[in-house]
Amino acid sequence: MAIDCLVLGAGQEVGKSCMVVSINGKRIMFDCGMHMGYTDSRRYPDFSLISKTGDFDNALTCVIVTHFHLDHIGALPYFTEVCGYKGPIYMTYPTKALAPLMLEDYRKNMDRRGEDEQFTSDHIAECMKKVIPVNLKQTVQVDKDLQIRAYYAGHVIGAAMFYAKVGDAAMVYTGDYNMTPDRHLGAAQIDRLQLDLLITESTYATTIRDSRYGREREFLKAVHNCVAAGGKVLIPTFALGRAQELCILLEDYWERMNLKVPIYFSAGLTIQANMYYKMLINWTSQKIKETYATHNAFDFKNVRNFDRSLINAPGPCVLFATPGMIVGGFSLKVFMQWAPSENNLVTLPGYCVAGTIGHKLMSGKLTKIDLDKDTQINVRCQIHQLSFSPHTDAKGIMDLVKFLSPKHAILVHGEKPKMATLKERIQSELGIQCYCPANNETVTIPSTHYVKADASGTFIRSCLNPNFKFSTCSSTDKSYLDSNKSKAVSRLSVSDDRATEGILVVEKGKKAKVIHQDEFLHMLGEKKHEIQFAYCFPMHMARTEDLSSTSHMLCSFDKCTLISRLSMILSDELSEGNILDLGEELQVESFRVSVCSSDNCPHRLSSSLQNGSESVFFCCHWSVADEKLAWKIISIMKNSTL
Amino acid sequence: MGRVAELERRQSAMELHVINSIQQSLDNNQPLSFQALASLRSLIINPATPDSTLSSVLDALTRSLQLNRDPVFLHHAVKLLSDLASHRPHLSPFALDLLRSDSLFSSASPRLVGESLSVLLSLASIGNDMDAARFVSLCLGPSVSVRQCLLRNAEKLVFRESVLLAVFLGFTRDPYPYVRKEALDGLVKLCKNGDFDDRDVIEGCYCRAVELLRDAENYVRSAAVRAVCEWGRLLVICSEDMNKQDSSDAVFIQLGCMVRDMSLDVRLEAFEALGKIGLVSEDILLQTLSKKVLGINKDKAYKPIEGLDISVSAVAGAYIHRLEDEFSEVRMSACYSLRTLTVFSLRFACEALNLMMDMLNDDSTVSRLQALDTIHHMATSDHLKVEKIHIHRFLSVLVDSSSVIRSMTRKILKLAKLPQFELFKLCIDGLLGNLEIYPQDEADVLSALFHFGRNHGKFTVHIIEEVAPEMEPASGGKLSFDSTRVAAFLVLAISAPLSHEKDVSAIPPRIFSYAVTWLGRISYGLSDIMNQEKLLAYLSECSRSSTISLADFKINEALLTVEGDASIPLCSKVDSPVSMPFWKDSGGISDYHHQEFLSLGKSAAHAEYELGEHSELRKYVNLIFKKVKDSWSLVELGCTTEACKGIRACKEEVASFTTESPGSFGAVAFTLQYLQVIEMLAKVWGHLRATKMLNPNGVGKLELLFAKLDRRLREISNRFIGLSKGEELQILDLVLVACLLRLSKVEICCCNAAMKLLSSTVAHVEYLHKEGSIEPSNFVTEVKKSLHDADSSSSSSSCQPLLFKKLLDSFSLQQFVLYGTPRSVHAELAVPGNDSENPLPFIPGIPASIPLAITLHNVLTESRLWVRISMGEESTQFVFLDLNLIRNKKRSINVVREFTFVAPFYRTPKAVSFTVRASLGLECFRENVDRVKVFGGPKCELTYLCPEKEIFLCKSTECKSKSAFT
Repeated sequence: MAIDCLVLGAGQEVGKSCMVVSINGKRIMFDCGMHMGYTDSRRYPDFSLISKTGDFDNALTCVIVTHFHLDHIGALPYFTEVCGYKGPIYMTYPTKALAPLMLEDYRKNMDRRGEDEQFTSDHIAECMKKVIPVNLKQTVQVDKDLQIRAYYAGHVIGAAMFYAKVGDAAMVYTGDYNMTPDRHLGAAQIDRLQLDLLITESTYATTIRDSRYGREREFLKAVHNCVAAGGKVLIPTFALGRAQELCILLEDYWERMNLKVPIYFSAGLTIQANMYYKMLINWTSQKIKETYATHNAFDFKNVRNFDRSLINAPGPCVLFATPGMIVGGFSLKVFMQWAPSENNLVTLPGYCVAGTIGHKLMSGKLTKIDLDKDTQINVRCQIHQLSFSPHTDAKGIMDLVKFLSPKHAILVHGEKPKMATLKERIQSELGIQCYCPANNETVTIPSTHYVKADASGTFIRSCLNPNFKFSTCSSTDKSYLDSNKSKAVSRLSVSDDRATEGILVVEKGKKAKVIHQDEFLHMLGEKKHEIQFAYCFPMHMARTEDLSSTSHMLCSFDKCTLISRLSMILSDELSEGNILDLGEELQVESFRVSVCSSDNCPHRLSSSLQNGSESVFFCCHWSVADEKLAWKIISIMKNSTL
Repeated sequence: MGRVAELERRQSAMELHVINSIQQSLDNNQPLSFQALASLRSLIINPATPDSTLSSVLDALTRSLQLNRDPVFLHHAVKLLSDLASHRPHLSPFALDLLRSDSLFSSASPRLVGESLSVLLSLASIGNDMDAARFVSLCLGPSVSVRQCLLRNAEKLVFRESVLLAVFLGFTRDPYPYVRKEALDGLVKLCKNGDFDDRDVIEGCYCRAVELLRDAENYVRSAAVRAVCEWGRLLVICSEDMNKQDSSDAVFIQLGCMVRDMSLDVRLEAFEALGKIGLVSEDILLQTLSKKVLGINKDKAYKPIEGLDISVSAVAGAYIHRLEDEFSEVRMSACYSLRTLTVFSLRFACEALNLMMDMLNDDSTVSRLQALDTIHHMATSDHLKVEKIHIHRFLSVLVDSSSVIRSMTRKILKLAKLPQFELFKLCIDGLLGNLEIYPQDEADVLSALFHFGRNHGKFTVHIIEEVAPEMEPASGGKLSFDSTRVAAFLVLAISAPLSHEKDVSAIPPRIFSYAVTWLGRISYGLSDIMNQEKLLAYLSECSRSSTISLADFKINEALLTVEGDASIPLCSKVDSPVSMPFWKDSGGISDYHHQEFLSLGKSAAHAEYELGEHSELRKYVNLIFKKVKDSWSLVELGCTTEACKGIRACKEEVASFTTESPGSFGAVAFTLQYLQVIEMLAKVWGHLRATKMLNPNGVGKLELLFAKLDRRLREISNRFIGLSKGEELQILDLVLVACLLRLSKVEICCCNAAMKLLSSTVAHVEYLHKEGSIEPSNFVTEVKKSLHDADSSSSSSSCQPLLFKKLLDSFSLQQFVLYGTPRSVHAELAVPGNDSENPLPFIPGIPASIPLAITLHNVLTESRLWVRISMGEESTQFVFLDLNLIRNKKRSINVVREFTFVAPFYRTPKAVSFTVRASLGLECFRENVDRVKVFGGPKCELTYLCPEKEIFLCKSTECKSKSAFT
């Protein structure tokens, strides 16, 4: 079994996220986004790669959309209404609620720019009818075999990571996520899952971001200084996400500092979005959830609706105006009025698309902007650049990959060279096979297949009873600090081998079975064979008077004395092993030695025949495991005199 | 009576029947039926069952245990035995013996063993009957629950450490996560209690714990974090000296890896552990504050033990990452552990300060407070280096809307030491801004300015030079003294001579004289440093001389001696005067003022000084007492109404006194109480001593007056502590008078009780005289003498009203002089959220619970408190309040205790709703209750510490339907 991942978008780039994963016969499309940078056919994913005939209903089991950003959902109405996909679409409740706003806004902007319309309002409405909303951690049985589950992802409200499982194969598609919380959203949260594949975004594959507090401090300081000096602050922003985040931040600061300067929201989308946010408390950060009972954080006390007549009203104020990046619309209108005064402040997001006024403002100290050939704006106001980003940084990605420890990982939604660096890190530090495919490529990875096995009674019983062993493992450590000589390090360690006592037996035509190792021989009908070594050799004796006469008639008593003498010698010389004196026999681990009374011992080498009166023969047996020890003992015995 | 006997007879017949039937079935070798077991249980739990029956029950159980091996039966038998042991303590040894018997505890069935084990443990009677071998063999048995139970309770079973160590270490390998957790917890306990010096063992345990840091279960991981911390510390201890630092660093890094865990509990645990590791090198500490791996730490790996290599990069940004955690618990715990680590390194403290300054923007107030606390801690350990980039952020907190945050910030400013004048000026501006926006903070701002100015003598002089024109009188010779800004600068100016810098003579002396005109306001602000008199002395001294005079030094020294160590500046004490104003400690109050006064070298009006800041109040109070004494002469003349009028006027006057300053509340309350006593006494006196005969109506009225008088007297003698002996004696005089008055009128006298009270009071008076070697007054001697005479002369208990009347003549009211600071014993009682609209639920006939929120002021722990709950006139119930059982936060007696006590009300009536009145009474030991004793109630009379509180109760079903309507 294998998992095939066809990358339709966001492969080694940021934009039009779209990924079709075939997993145990099911095909899931994760995200259906559009690329904002193109206006031609490259704008949408190449859906023909899914099915040549255009029969998407049979080619796909379902579509899953992670969140409402256009690069994740923008192509969805086109895919369902124009291309004709009619199957199920899954997304979270907030995504379903807010996606139409985003799509409609985009459609209007397209209209305004005079581009050819890809889909209509009706298309959006029709498309949304096909959507099945899901909740966090709710397991949805898409069909008999396919299970999906959403996990909190941070990023924007309603963003989710999706877990999908078919049979034994399981995977997670993260979409965009954020591992650090911000004011209104929590950090991504997922369970420890057994995964074959993790597909993760990698927007900041190499960046490590600093603390959020620093960014907030800078922003608040700039805004406070401006309003304290009587200036006006313009915050051009998109309606969803950033606007609420900044507003909560300002609201909190206003409360604490007792500021009375009005904060305005330009009417329209933002007001509508705030209404949704108020209802989606469940998807926000811990703090907002905690205080919700007493005060809904999206009930902004200091925020008022903006009236156009207020643009030139005297006195300080803060205004949130759409759209972001000052691409046009109301934010441009206000900007034209406010830009000429150096008291005023414009805050810009960290990223502005080239060609927008925002981008021009960021690129350098400007004094004039030519709007069109008739209009020119004098820019004297202060510019503050925000660097709030709802994406996780490299550390966050590593954390998630480490936490989930999948067997394979695929990076998408990032820049190619940075992704390559991250890929190397994942492979080297975590030992996880990692890929970063380009668009329209397919990655195939093997998937898990579990075998069900019976277990024998003995094995189960042995599993129930603890069976731990303590051992002192020895190893030699040469690098220990500055000492040149190698130092033996021994450490107490404990092991419990219940599982290793089992042996998996797969017989032809029968179900696999796990049995206890003791049963194994019995099952095979074989006997246990052991290899033993034996050696018989003479040992030098000190000549004593009483021994000389009776040297050939060693009685059992003498055998015992000899053995005990030998035991004394060995215990002096031998550092390891436990010497057991068993009367006529001496045992060290599996090594056994006894006095050999037979003259024609089969283990005796003829060459070792010596003067019998001065030596006595010892017969040794040992098993293969203790060979080293045995030869050590034998050499000690040969070199010493009894 | 007949019915009870009948019932008893029936019961014993039933018992007999049950026992007989059981015996019968046992004799026939039949197992006990479940019905029989159930009736045995009813016998056991019935408190009326006689012991003889129970011992036959035990016999029956013993026999049936020998007969029956059915596991279900054995399970029930265990339950019965545990019931028996817990219900009848004197029979429990037998029951326990049975539990330990072969058929139960020693049986082969692990479930049974587990059950009997938990029963034995719950009865705390296991120990000897479990040897190590049995413990180990049970642990090694297949039952997981028994294993878990044994591991958890291994402490109680007390074995040799080696056995426990082997078992715990072994079971960290168990496949069941809960067993692993118990084993780790056991290892932690063992490590704390035990005494290990075998490095192999320590390493083994440490390594095993480190392995379990990667466990799949959250609770195992948090247990592993604890274990790594404890064993890691042991590892550090047993390392050779030159490796100690490395080992410690390695343990720190190991724990640092866990702060990025997905589980909240593990993160919390990890920070707690990080705070415990003392010895950490600076490089690593700094690394925790930077997400990027620092150059110095690149490729640096630690190897505390072979095979456990760990790289510093693992700990990179540990703090920075977690200070922005989603959960405020984690943020706070990170702040807290940071706080303990800042002590070790100045550089680390500086870096951490950046973070803490950012934390001041946190959205949760508790986190902000914790951050400020951490900064404060840095300041006290002298590791606070404020830089320019911080100062704006920091000063903006001074205008925070939360007063706690503001006061904490000022607390830090009081300790701050700034290197540059610019920063100093910014801080002063910040404080002025604070004062402007929140005028209510004035006192504390002035205090902060004083401390701040004192710590920066030169800067202060400098800034005063700058603003001097502002402080000068405006044209026309008028000082703009209504400006708080001027006050602030004045405070700053007068702090300069107390700084430890030499060159501070530049403050023009006239400024000090300006400050004198502000004396009240300034001294209020500086009340934690010096009192008004001392401030005045100081100011006048400074205004006289342009150079630092001898007097200044004296003051300086006086301040220092008071505050402890002369060599270190005020601010570097951990318990700075700011956090713990010493004058609040009532014990040392007179000593402190005394000492301070002497060191100023003046001796006049010593007595007045002893009174400290309340001297003014006390003066007024004592004037009132004088007035009272004067009006008593009116009473003696028979002009009771006029006298009472005068006393009431005094009462009004006293009521208008402010009670804001600490300690004054008690004095005012005491005075009021005294006035009330005198008023009642005057009324009674008027009635009794009037020449005309008593009319029948009058008796009832008199009785009422007496009751009131008694109550007042009880209150004044029991509700105030901290009175001197002289003061107490004066009150006892009044008690004696009241007794005599009672005895002097036959019509109303309950002679025995009054005599008893009289003699006990006299005895107490005598005791006090001896104790304090005070001469008894004429009146007391007279009373004593006549009492003695009465005892010896007449055995008849008949009263001698005439004698007592005569005694009363010798009484004249002494002027009461208040010396000390009496503290009022009082309480507040509330039932949160209860009113007639929101009654508490109850079920008729079943006790209702009433949650009382109680605040006690100055109540000594040894006093006996009762909650009195009464329903109408007919039913009153007392509940004893054991103060020893109530968690006491502070040890001092001047404590305000707040707690919630759930009082049961037993006799709930059969009604839809009713009200009860609750109050809190203090038992007065000197007075015995002479009425019929309430069962279980107080033995002595109660003094009520708070007004009665009405509590509404409503039948519980009614409540629901009612709330459904509304």
